[in-house]
Amino acid sequence: MTKAAMRAGRPRQAPRRAFIHNDRFQMTAFIVPTCIFLALLTIWPFVYSVYLSLHAVKLTAMKRAVFVGAGNYVNLLGDPLFLRAMLNTGLLAVTSITCEIVIAFVIAKAFVSLSHLKWVNGLRSLFMLPMMVTPLVVGMIFSYVFNPILGIANYLLGGVGLGPVPWFGGTTAAMISILLINVWQWTPFMMLLIMAGLLSIRSDLYEAARVDGAKWHHVLTMLEIPSIKGIVLLGIILRIIDTLRFFDVVYVTTRGGPGDSTMVLTLYAYQQNFQFFQAGVGSAAAVMILVISIVITTFAVRLLRRIENE
Amino acid sequence: MNSDRFRPRDLGPIVLVVAFVFASVAPLLWLALAAFKPTADIIAIPPVWIPDFTYLENFRDVLTEFWPFIVNSLIATVGATILALALAVPAAFALVNHSFRGRDALADWILSTRMMPPIAAAVPLFVIFRGAGLLDSLPGLIIAYAGFNLPFAVWMTMSFIRRVPKELIEAARLEGCTWWQVLKDVVLPLSKSGLAAVATFVFIFAWNEFMLALFLTTREAKTFPVVISSFVGTGRVYWEYIAAASVIQCLPPVLFTFFMQKHIVSGVTMGAVKD
Repeated sequence: MTKAAMRAGRPRQAPRRAFIHNDRFQMTAFIVPTCIFLALLTIWPFVYSVYLSLHAVKLTAMKRAVFVGAGNYVNLLGDPLFLRAMLNTGLLAVTSITCEIVIAFVIAKAFVSLSHLKWVNGLRSLFMLPMMVTPLVVGMIFSYVFNPILGIANYLLGGVGLGPVPWFGGTTAAMISILLINVWQWTPFMMLLIMAGLLSIRSDLYEAARVDGAKWHHVLTMLEIPSIKGIVLLGIILRIIDTLRFFDVVYVTTRGGPGDSTMVLTLYAYQQNFQFFQAGVGSAAAVMILVISIVITTFAVRLLRRIENE
Repeated sequence: MNSDRFRPRDLGPIVLVVAFVFASVAPLLWLALAAFKPTADIIAIPPVWIPDFTYLENFRDVLTEFWPFIVNSLIATVGATILALALAVPAAFALVNHSFRGRDALADWILSTRMMPPIAAAVPLFVIFRGAGLLDSLPGLIIAYAGFNLPFAVWMTMSFIRRVPKELIEAARLEGCTWWQVLKDVVLPLSKSGLAAVATFVFIFAWNEFMLALFLTTREAKTFPVVISSFVGTGRVYWEYIAAASVIQCLPPVLFTFFMQKHIVSGVTMGAVKD
């Protein structure tokens, strides 16, 4: 630190002969490339997607686009498969995020109460592995574990006289399996956030609560929940956004099946665009996903600013 | 309270923690073990619990046959990491140290692009790439991956640059340093470890990416996850290859999880929560 400071403090011959050395110019040059890049990757695709969504157009013949107005959107809202995808995505968001928060809170409490034991830190790293593993591989892992013939899950359940469970084979079972996978992969993420929140509570507040004779549920509702509220809300928003782009795991495990039982929004839009080449319908679906994301994002950005300012 | 010794009342939490850690790790481990099994052992019932770890045929087969795609993944990921940081670091520096009208709005806009679902950009991206000859090419993947990780990189970098003491920057300015020199000689050396964390996260996100690669690449530039996904098709499923390939694919993120533990919280919240 001091070294860098000294290096920086060394008087420099600042040659100010060209406008390249102009401060305003430099700062602008720092920021403009990023803005152009992001605009090309977000604003332009958005405009183009809206344009496509108002046309009947094939991905294989983009030049022959016919204007159909809101036709694609009307068709979309009349398509049972799309409605199913909406329903499933919503269901998955609500159920998996709820389970994640409850389980994560319990584990976070356990980890916090064990934070005086050094070796427990290693366990925490192990616990976090699922959230770093490639999502596609997560799909593979559970295709293998839940496999109807050679899967270990049904073998173990059979050992205690249960099953066989159909896992990805039945309509309800498949949805529950997908939910389980989500909870398995993302509980560690919630746990990290909740733990960061819990660790920010000063220990003398716990002490004071104990002295005042507060019961555990008083501590929970009046001290712990208020302290972790902001960060959990942030976690919920990030997870909703994740659920809207949920794709890899269903792509390798169920492809939305059996029937339409595990169809989700991103998979629906992907299939319309790149399997049936229906760029118009696919873009309409993508625009709807985007609109939902924008509504949620508006909250997210405000929240992030608030947490940052605290 | 501060002793690092075991207390009797720790027993409950320990049992709980160990049970959940087991549930987290067991499925991963079970697939990893399959990578060391010959076909007969994979389909054996009762299962072969502990394989012969000297059996490395599966890894050898996967590496010899699919090596080019692992290289593709590496080039796309490293390229995207470098490009994303090259763009994000100066932008983050300017957003933190240069006050201008609409600065917060600009930062918020950059952040909001992080929330955009990739599927919403899929067709337009596909169309531009097709027109520009970037389909199924590594430069194309690098551009796409860098772009989608840029908002995250800018925000997390901003959180690290903010920690550089303002006095140092002012002192350097008084000495006549240009902003470029301030960035290069003051800010970069002081936020090295933070930037390493940003780079690591971008690397992992890009390395784990699947959907974009699925429609942006077809043959030449296919990434390793796309190859792995093609192992499951109709007919016989080669679980031993899936397992070996999955182990290779997961190696970088798993290693990083252990090395980056310190920065993980700030990584998953884009720097909103300090580590």
